[in-house]
Amino acid sequence: MRGSVTGHLILKDWQIHRVPILLTMAAGAIALAIFQWGGETAFVVGSVWFFVALIVIASMLPIFSIVNERKKQNLPFLMSLPVSTMQYTTAKLVSTVGMFLAPWLALVIAALVLIEIRGMLPHGAIPITLILLMLPLVGFCFIAGAALVGESEGWSTAATLVCNSSYGLVWYFITQIPALTDTWKSPVAVWSPTALAIFGGELASIPLILGLTFYLQSRKREFV
Amino acid sequence: MTGNYPNRLAIELSGVGKKYRFFSLDNIHLKVPEGQIMGLIGPNGAGKSTTIRILMGLVHQDSGEALVLGHPMPAEQVAAKWDIGFASEDMRLYESMTLGWHMNFIQSIYPNWDTAYAQLLLKRFGLRAEQKVKGLSHGQRVKATLLLVLARRPKLLVLDEPTTGLDPVARHEILRELTDVMADEGRSILFSSHNTQDVEQISDQITFIDRGRIIDSMDKEMYLDRWRRLRLEVPYGIKLPALPGIIDVRQDGRLAVATANAFVPDLANAYESSGARVNAVENMTLEEIFVANVEHSREEVEA
Repeated sequence: MRGSVTGHLILKDWQIHRVPILLTMAAGAIALAIFQWGGETAFVVGSVWFFVALIVIASMLPIFSIVNERKKQNLPFLMSLPVSTMQYTTAKLVSTVGMFLAPWLALVIAALVLIEIRGMLPHGAIPITLILLMLPLVGFCFIAGAALVGESEGWSTAATLVCNSSYGLVWYFITQIPALTDTWKSPVAVWSPTALAIFGGELASIPLILGLTFYLQSRKREFV
Repeated sequence: MTGNYPNRLAIELSGVGKKYRFFSLDNIHLKVPEGQIMGLIGPNGAGKSTTIRILMGLVHQDSGEALVLGHPMPAEQVAAKWDIGFASEDMRLYESMTLGWHMNFIQSIYPNWDTAYAQLLLKRFGLRAEQKVKGLSHGQRVKATLLLVLARRPKLLVLDEPTTGLDPVARHEILRELTDVMADEGRSILFSSHNTQDVEQISDQITFIDRGRIIDSMDKEMYLDRWRRLRLEVPYGIKLPALPGIIDVRQDGRLAVATANAFVPDLANAYESSGARVNAVENMTLEEIFVANVEHSREEVEA
């Protein structure tokens, strides 16, 4: 035995899906470059492009990494290896969430750098920016969980549709919350109880979704 | 990694059952001794793949016990799978990656990976490591999968319809390789197929499965020895007696064909004594034995 098989499965996913990850990072970088241009048009175009890059990768990665593996009948090959269903689930969630986290974190850090160091936006925008950026991460976990548990393109497509059609609505409601918008132009980041509650709720939903995925996977009596 | 299996059974299924809405696997008992090739023959939808998935731990049985290399399945599937090489007809490699990438991937996992043997198989199968899987023909894909399975030197090979859809040359190459693998007496193979010719060519033992039930299981030579077709001429007024070991008699006018699943020369004598004439006692091919066995089993169930 050389290392854990789970580790090999994670590495395998990263090797196979390196192109979409790099493309997302490039798309995000272009968005931030546009953002830096200055002016209202550049801000809107850059923001839209930035979120589109995150949403596209959040929708596509579970399909590439999870649904296609089942659809293209790679799963029997993987399950012929010395791994259990739960080890496969662990490997798949770690690799897929990791694949999303890499471009997501890079883009979030770049966005914060632009606010913090380059002064593109007032520091008061940091809480609402982070709250808005957390949504694609939560949505991604939901889509990945549905793809793993649902075992079909239908379930993952349904989860993707639910998430993608909800983003706009949720963002709209978030930007209507006075506790967030009132401090948006403040020179310092203000973490009001409302901002903390929303951000905490987003954070807490991630282990909840992933935990539920593990639980449902552990109850399966047929895997391939 | 291999468990203790003092009775030297590579596979032991006892009373295994699995219920689906429109199909059920019923009370499966199957034993594959170490060093043997067991052919599992059944029509499409007979339960071959479900049986194999249960013994690989991929499907959990509702009842009964499955032991593979001494490991209870599915509980110890990880430990068991270190020594099992599994390939199935519906198994696909990653299309966008090369065969070489797959070889490195498997090699990184299995300490028993035999690089020299893998290179030999590449040559024998006419494959190129640098070729992407999407550029391979069906036959080449099957060979590539088998290379990945064989080069890890497993103690048990479980092959679910590996020769389906292959041309005769590719089938011959694969069957020859499997026969070579068995030069190591410690290895065992479970080989499922609905192609009786392939199974007959390499198997030591054969199990017939139909509609979720095992209908017969024994040594291949025993099947060929015990099954016979008797061509009879029956004069008018003579009624053929019901004889033990005769499972089917089809009569058209004066001519009749009796199928025996436990042939002894006395059967022919008994027909002669009854007034019929035995024109011929013919050997049966495995395919004929399989079809006769399935038909007889279905008639018994329906009766």
